[in-house]
Amino acid sequence: MVSKAEEAELNRLETQVDNGGGGAWEYLSLVRKLKVRRSHKVLNHGLSILNDSRKRSGLGQEEWTLYEQVAIAALDCQALDVAKDCIKVLQKKFPQSNRVGRLEAMLLEAKELWAEAEKAYASFLEENPCDQIVHKRRVALAKSQGNIAVAIEWLNKYLETFMADHDAWRELAELYVSLQMYKQAVFCYEELILSQPTVPLYHLAYADVLYTLGGLENLQTAKKYYASTIDLSGGKNTRALFGVCLCSSAIAQLTRGRNREDKEGPELQSLAATALEKDYKQRAPHKLSLLSSVMKGLKVSP
Amino acid sequence: MAEDLVLDTAIRDWVLIPLSVVMVLIGVLRYFVSKLMRSSPVPDAKVVREGQIVLRARNLRSAANFIPQKSFRSRRVYYGNEENGLLFVPKGQAQNAQAQMFSDPNMAMDMMKKNLSMIIPQTLTFAWVNFFFSGFVAAKIPFPLTQRFRSMLQNGIDLSTVDVSYVSSRSWYFLNLFGLRGLFSLILGEENAMDDTQRMMQMSGFGMDPTKGLSAEKDNLDIVQHEWVLPKFEHRAEAVLRKIIS
Repeated sequence: MVSKAEEAELNRLETQVDNGGGGAWEYLSLVRKLKVRRSHKVLNHGLSILNDSRKRSGLGQEEWTLYEQVAIAALDCQALDVAKDCIKVLQKKFPQSNRVGRLEAMLLEAKELWAEAEKAYASFLEENPCDQIVHKRRVALAKSQGNIAVAIEWLNKYLETFMADHDAWRELAELYVSLQMYKQAVFCYEELILSQPTVPLYHLAYADVLYTLGGLENLQTAKKYYASTIDLSGGKNTRALFGVCLCSSAIAQLTRGRNREDKEGPELQSLAATALEKDYKQRAPHKLSLLSSVMKGLKVSP
Repeated sequence: MAEDLVLDTAIRDWVLIPLSVVMVLIGVLRYFVSKLMRSSPVPDAKVVREGQIVLRARNLRSAANFIPQKSFRSRRVYYGNEENGLLFVPKGQAQNAQAQMFSDPNMAMDMMKKNLSMIIPQTLTFAWVNFFFSGFVAAKIPFPLTQRFRSMLQNGIDLSTVDVSYVSSRSWYFLNLFGLRGLFSLILGEENAMDDTQRMMQMSGFGMDPTKGLSAEKDNLDIVQHEWVLPKFEHRAEAVLRKIIS
């Protein structure tokens, strides 16, 4: 996760570097540290350092890290020649390295030589079955081929061992949602909530999936999780506000005719609707009519 | 203490300083040798998995109240059932885990390497110091000390009349051996903090049963009371929204 201060710092450095103010190396280091993906900038600024032999040798041992970073960025930008050159340099310096081998496999991947890349990754895994990065590359490989089912299979295999890796759970959840396998996605989101119970985004996504599944019990649960999202995000999450309204009206439809045991429901709904209205008034007044027609459709009176 | 002992300056030049320099050099040498001999540890998949299971179970325990009752129950069964639960350790396996660790040749090899790089240079330097510099006073510390320090500072001199602030050469060796850690971490960087005392600690930790963590975690999980907190969140959300609206 990138905190706000870090992002501001990153953006400040980026504009500084873009306008020729120097500090390219600091920018690249920060990009690496925060693991953000700004491949075009990294490629441009990294290459400008690498092509300047004086600057390059000033980096000392960090030079090779930069080569790796630029190679990956180049692969991301389809600048295959640049990537190839970088990898060649690294290959010369570290002939036996697995890390360079991985870059070569990624080059194969970028060239869409799927079978070869797959073979390379498989051989890495045979050597060291605990290499998390290779495991993840393999998932990405399957995903970039559009083979989501296979990607899910690999990811499950990875999670069998590294089951505390919540980023992997998140990826798996998103893959399941993309295949509309909501029951499985529910499990993954529960896993995410368990590992980081105070992140509102996980609560929100969990509620979304539950709402999509439908059924009275799921809807009630979804509403509760939308409520927790509102609480955890301080009421700033529009999606959660809408979610509460949608859930409430869906529940009301399902329980029509039965005696209402859930007495507090309508209050939360109308509060959410009012909050939405206020938010729209402040930030997007011209869309207010859309909102009120939606709310009318849901039979919600703010 | 009527008269002071006068120490020959040659002792300073030929004992005190060389001894310290040699100790530093040996420390540096040992660092590089152990760096050469260190095999990069390939983590065992099973050990990694067990660590991750414990981590995940701990997450479940601490955040149990954030997921619905049904999900929590199914997870608890998944972790703790007696057939193939993640945290369940079959009886026979628990015992031979330790034996397996000892029979693992890599483990023994690693231990031996560590021991070699620690013990051999120490014995050698100790023998060297003993042989050349035994039995005389090598330095004087500039403040008086009580009798209790005699065994520490005058190792190798059996005279009770000598003032305690005089340091024998063998004791100087020991002082160097244990006192140079700070200097090494300056010279070799922080990661050299693997000094002798820490090694000893590691040795005592060796032989711990990794499966114990699993069964302890299982017991912990068994006694967790599930109380879903989400219904409370609805009220809290209402309060939050009221605050926004007003």
